[in-house]
Amino acid sequence: MTGGIPTGDELRRLPLAARLLLRLTLNGGDYRAVSNDLLELYQRRLHRQGAPAAKAWLRRQVTTYPGRLIMEQVRKLLPLSGTRRVVQSPVTRRATLMNNLLRDLRHGIRSLARSPVFTATIILTVGLGIGATTAIFSAVNAVLIQPLPYANAGDLVRIYTESPPHRWPFSVADYRALKEQQTQFVTIAGYTNETLTLSRGETVERIRGKFVTWDYFSLLGITPLYGRLFDSSDGKPESEPTVVVSHAFWNRYIGGSEEALGQSIQLDGVNYTVVGVLPRTVGPFEQGRDFFAAVEWQPPPRRGPFSIIVIARVRPEVDRSVAAEELRAINRHIFPVWQDSYQDQGASWGMMDLKEVVVGDVGTTEMLVLGAVAFLLLIASNNAANLLLARTTQRTRELAVRAALGASPSRLMQYTLSESALLAAGSAAFGLIVMYGGMKLLTTTGSNFIPRTQEIGVDGLVLVFLAAVTLFSGLLFGLIPSLTGARIRVEQALRASGRSATDSAAPRRMRRVLVASQFAIAAPLLIGAALLITSLARLQRVDPGFDTHNMLVAGVQLPRLAYPEAEDTYSFWSQAIERVAALPGVESVALGDAMPPTRVTMINNFNLEDDPTPPGQTEPATPWVGVTPGYFATLGIGLLEGRTFNDLDGVEGPPTVVVDQDWADRFFPNESAVGKRFVSGGCTSCPLTTVVGVVGNVKYVGLDDPGGGTVYWPMGLGPKRFMHFLMRTRPDPMSLVPSLRNAIRELDPALPLVPLTTIDESMSNSLQAPRYLTGLAAAFAIVALILSVVGVYGVMSHHVQQHTKDIGIRMALGGAPSRVLGGVVWQGLRLAVVGVVIGVAAAFYLTRFMSSMLFGVGSTDVMTFTTVAAIMLGVAFIACLLPARRAATVDPVSTLREE
Amino acid sequence: MPRETLGEFEHQVMLAILQLGGEAYSVSIVEELEERTGREVAQAAVFIVLRRLEEKRLLTSRLDETAAEDTGRVRRYFRLTPNALRRLRDSRDTYMRLWDGIEATLEKA
Repeated sequence: MTGGIPTGDELRRLPLAARLLLRLTLNGGDYRAVSNDLLELYQRRLHRQGAPAAKAWLRRQVTTYPGRLIMEQVRKLLPLSGTRRVVQSPVTRRATLMNNLLRDLRHGIRSLARSPVFTATIILTVGLGIGATTAIFSAVNAVLIQPLPYANAGDLVRIYTESPPHRWPFSVADYRALKEQQTQFVTIAGYTNETLTLSRGETVERIRGKFVTWDYFSLLGITPLYGRLFDSSDGKPESEPTVVVSHAFWNRYIGGSEEALGQSIQLDGVNYTVVGVLPRTVGPFEQGRDFFAAVEWQPPPRRGPFSIIVIARVRPEVDRSVAAEELRAINRHIFPVWQDSYQDQGASWGMMDLKEVVVGDVGTTEMLVLGAVAFLLLIASNNAANLLLARTTQRTRELAVRAALGASPSRLMQYTLSESALLAAGSAAFGLIVMYGGMKLLTTTGSNFIPRTQEIGVDGLVLVFLAAVTLFSGLLFGLIPSLTGARIRVEQALRASGRSATDSAAPRRMRRVLVASQFAIAAPLLIGAALLITSLARLQRVDPGFDTHNMLVAGVQLPRLAYPEAEDTYSFWSQAIERVAALPGVESVALGDAMPPTRVTMINNFNLEDDPTPPGQTEPATPWVGVTPGYFATLGIGLLEGRTFNDLDGVEGPPTVVVDQDWADRFFPNESAVGKRFVSGGCTSCPLTTVVGVVGNVKYVGLDDPGGGTVYWPMGLGPKRFMHFLMRTRPDPMSLVPSLRNAIRELDPALPLVPLTTIDESMSNSLQAPRYLTGLAAAFAIVALILSVVGVYGVMSHHVQQHTKDIGIRMALGGAPSRVLGGVVWQGLRLAVVGVVIGVAAAFYLTRFMSSMLFGVGSTDVMTFTTVAAIMLGVAFIACLLPARRAATVDPVSTLREE
Repeated sequence: MPRETLGEFEHQVMLAILQLGGEAYSVSIVEELEERTGREVAQAAVFIVLRRLEEKRLLTSRLDETAAEDTGRVRRYFRLTPNALRRLRDSRDTYMRLWDGIEATLEKA
């Protein structure tokens, strides 16, 4: 043997990975012994067989270690292992197992029933976690995992006009060109979302639906419940108007029987024949829509406007990039045809998965909420583990007696595990109730924010998830205490008077680890919730740009049949505005086609005369709000420069607009915007539009809109069929509702009930989604904090209880109560500090995923992070202070007398 | 007295210790086993079984520091307990009785 004697240093000659693996699986002494053995054997082999063979041997030897050690542990614990003292036949063995199991379960039920608070705490907290996690998962399943409920949904796409950062719908011209020229798609279909007036005798109502091309249903692969869907003869100008209705509409309005087919319904004054009824469950594009009227768009005089949503089915064999290239080619091809009426060279055509359209940014939110509830479940299980561990510790004597009477470690483990299994089963049962409640909540209130809620339900995947989550949490809270309980030292336990035998280092350390990790898991939850709360508070403080109080808004829609020409609509609007202005309590009234803070109907592109968009680039686009001259005065939007509209604007002379300050600052930062001119909407043949005034900023696309500018144009009272009446009132706006309704009804009794709202209400509604999310997150965070605090309190109380004697002795020997107090507080607080530090570090990484949901606060906002950390530590401090005070008031005499 | 079953590998390790006489320590046991069985032996398996046999009181061990001077490490030498010897004898007798008269049959097969 040459130089084949390993020394301590030579251990380093083992590969790093090998050393690491051994280090992790073996304790210090064993590690040294094993490494030495392996090195010695390796040296000998090296000598005999050469390096490659020896190295391969070493690799085999090391990798086999963890598996073998685990098997050995399992062997020791399993009842069927070779260490059994009595050899049984397999039949008796199974019978004994069953008997033991039944006995353990019976005993478990009895003993759990004896401590109802303990049992209820675990079942309620863990059950809440399991149920909430599964409910959120069912929403994730419906939205993100399940394919859209259409035939071969993977081939479905939406096609749009790409003009970063916007994605526009198509115009009729675009649609027709695409339909004629494309070769890579099975079918192309289009639709527009419409709200029409349904007239039935005296009553009129607004209902939501779609105008669809005849091939819409066949493209999606939808089959009717009754009747037929459309064919190529439907929707033509010369054919009889036909409509397919929803299941709900069918039940509510036309009798809910098959005889309803062939009936006629009046929408916006036009009679449509009902040819088909959709099934009760429909896809996300049909959900909430009551009618589907067939339409075929006729060749238009110019390229705009852009309102058609195009969906398509890609040929299964076609590569997506090929189809996308064809879209761009067709767009390039038709561009010159419409150049004089539309010019935005940067715009192209693109497509995206239809599913992506539905999911939108809800996907991120849902995954984050799922993450948050999973954290909650982790804390709840952790808490349960802690409670069970404490219980095992208290039951040391009972377990020791069992061990002394011959129960093997595996029997003891089986015994404690069966109790955990019962708790897990109870939690799962309670979790089922929570899950159903949660799913109900998601499908009702949640349907405002979450797509495809109709499809939320219990399927195989959800059940598997529930089972997996239960198993996971059961193992977490069951295995830790069982493993500790099984390792009981009988003699010591039976001899010990005060402290129990399992109150040795291992379980105590485990409880501390559990408490620290509770804080570590709770910290990101609390920080996430705090960020959302800060963000919501900032949103609520956003200045909407005008006085929102005492503003009543009514949306009025004039049906096409009753008001076919511009003069009809003009006559209605001008009479209506006069009558409304004359109502007692109305200070002033104006009309607008938009409503702050979230409702804007048009976004328009433009090309500045002084600073034209270079060829090939996208023109800027901003919200475009049509108003009457009194609009600014009624809302109280201040004029900063130039003038607002007068009665002549929009009627004669060149087109004029008023812009807001953001717009002026964005495009003319160093000079006045008044007098500047631009080409509006890409219409190069139209006269240039002139800016005549600058007004204060108002939010139209949400309070979180960073403000890219808004353009107001004088829409007059001409051809528009939909307007908002915006009224400034003296008394409470809602008190004017009856007189307003009367005024409109006197003008036209056939108009449907006007939807009425106040600006304050719509301001508050615009924050509904963030408020919902924030409320949810705050609830999770509070539960997490409570569980963590209860955890640290429990551990410290137990600590004080176990150490009463020591403390008594120390005090008898002259120890100061303040030092005792400080010592105990620090012991507990240390755990919280470790947990919070880890948790804050994790949050620093995790919160970046929620940055898109935050407004006015960064995802790593130092203030929020430190505040949350301080609150957590503060609460933990108080939780430790209570047991510490108990420790400091220990009376040494009485404690020692008890001995 | 109730008896624990003896695994096959436990059996082999005990026999190897006997073969090595006073020279049975972890490394030599591995090599002895490999030499006699003609198979590669996992050092982990030997390590685990030695510990298990010691727990079952079938082995005793002593630390020998005399080797430390030239090898740099203390070796742990193993010896079978009388109990283990009895168990091996018993098992050998049982097998002998079971084998009795069938050697010829096996040869032919």
